[in-house]
Amino acid sequence: MNLEVPRGSIFGLLGPNGAGKTTTLRLLLGLQRPTAGQAQVFGKPCGPNAVRVRSQIGYLPTNPKLPGNLRPIEYLELLGRLSRLPGEVRKPRISALLRAVGLLGATDQRIQTFSTGMCTRLGIAASLVADPPLLLWDEPTAGLDPAARRFTLELIRELGKTKTVVVATHILSDIDQICDHLGVMHEGRMIFTGSMQDMKRRLARHDFTLELDGAAEDVRRLAHEVTNLEGIDALANAGQMLLVKIADGRSRSRALAEVLKLIDASNLSLQAIHSGQNTTENAYLQLLQEDGFHR
Amino acid sequence: MPYMAILRHDMKTLWRSRLVRLWLGATALLTLLLVGANWANFMDGTLIASLLFPYLVFPWFFIVVALGVTPVSGSQAETLADGILCRPVSRFEYLLASWSARVVLVLSVYLVVIIPAVILIILAKRPVPEDTVTVYGIITALGVVGLVLTFLVSLGFLAGTLLRKPLLAVVVLIFIWYPIGLILSIFSLEEFSPISLNRAISTQLRRPWQETDAGAKDKANIQDNEVFSDQVSNFFSILSGAPSKPKAAKPDFFEGEKFDDLSLFRVSLGYGLPTIASVILASLCFYWRDL
Repeated sequence: MNLEVPRGSIFGLLGPNGAGKTTTLRLLLGLQRPTAGQAQVFGKPCGPNAVRVRSQIGYLPTNPKLPGNLRPIEYLELLGRLSRLPGEVRKPRISALLRAVGLLGATDQRIQTFSTGMCTRLGIAASLVADPPLLLWDEPTAGLDPAARRFTLELIRELGKTKTVVVATHILSDIDQICDHLGVMHEGRMIFTGSMQDMKRRLARHDFTLELDGAAEDVRRLAHEVTNLEGIDALANAGQMLLVKIADGRSRSRALAEVLKLIDASNLSLQAIHSGQNTTENAYLQLLQEDGFHR
Repeated sequence: MPYMAILRHDMKTLWRSRLVRLWLGATALLTLLLVGANWANFMDGTLIASLLFPYLVFPWFFIVVALGVTPVSGSQAETLADGILCRPVSRFEYLLASWSARVVLVLSVYLVVIIPAVILIILAKRPVPEDTVTVYGIITALGVVGLVLTFLVSLGFLAGTLLRKPLLAVVVLIFIWYPIGLILSIFSLEEFSPISLNRAISTQLRRPWQETDAGAKDKANIQDNEVFSDQVSNFFSILSGAPSKPKAAKPDFFEGEKFDDLSLFRVSLGYGLPTIASVILASLCFYWRDL
């Protein structure tokens, strides 16, 4: 894969489970080694001993496993020392971070007694101790209640004003709310990178998605017949979906009516119609389907 | 700063563990019992040697090795990756700090218990014959046992890093350790065996800083060279299968009470080099591992 993240953006790394999002982040941190190629952050190579690279990254893992025998202040103190922060900077920053993530009341508890949400919030604070210019957050809203989710998304939006934030997630509504750029991964490969507008503009090619039931051969024949209609283009994918693009200037309702007539005359039955305009979810699913179809 | 931060963190964590506290209590109790039971029976050198004996054999060997088994094994590896190694600290720095913490802790427990007991034995008026234990002998004997403990910690450290499962690492080490005395005796390297070292400690305790007889130093050097060349030729002849050179009888070497040709330099090399090798191997192994 090739990945470039624009500086100062909030970059969403999107993909289904097992796509390789977490592996990508861990490669950047030097926790795993690539089987080929190289990873660089701010122009410096990544690796197990790339201390200078990690000093510029704040990492939040999914459901972070933190040292359970420590208290939050002790853990953040340790991280502050690892980041070589002097005491006069470290101590006020730790207090501010604990206040910001709402853990000031839990400073006496050991981390092993924390809930999932509290661990995530502490993980957020931990990723910000060194005030790094790049944040890599892996599924930051996983396991959070709605209020905590909203808090986290607001925080990402706020941090995105001064830092580069990469958020790996499979929750499309989060991407919709906060990201201005995104990359879509599928089975270890990057199948799309670009701005959110580029992503949604892809759907301008496909105004409708029709779910059909019938033989694949019949779906292909239908696609051929629809393509012969004026101002309409159609593509049949492996999953019995017909992707229909209507040219600019053509009436959408009339075009759809013609397509439905053709379906009616065929051996296929219509299961559902989806409008593909301006929906991240459909654009994302379409990318995955196209990738699966082309392979 | 990261090295010291991890060192302090690991030492605090280790100190809080039940194993360390139980070991401290047990070793203090055993020392007390040994001193009490042999107060009027053993001379100074023999009594001090008996206090050092448990550190080189089961069960303290088992505990020291278990303490050395690394935090990069088992389920702790995930906590380590998520919590520490994704921060600006190199793996080597982390490993070195972690190893240092374990060594410092083990040596601290050992010295905290043994030094007061040794001072008490030396200074107290006991109903036993006068002994010729020297300060130099005490310091070097304590140092040798400390070196062996450091080696055991490093061995546990390496095994834990290689095998990734703490319990498996400890079990494998026990099965390797016990036959090692037999293997060392086959290659005539008994002085590197902790069991033989035990027998040599009472001799070492009575050794002065410098020999009063001027010729004794030369004699010791010649004997040193002879023993060293005998050991090397024996080692290679066993490896190659050729018959070994006939050895001159040295009945004193095999007596439990006399190890006049014990060489601190060889013992330091024999335990020091494997210690360094263990740490380097563990670092290399951990460096190449995906977390």
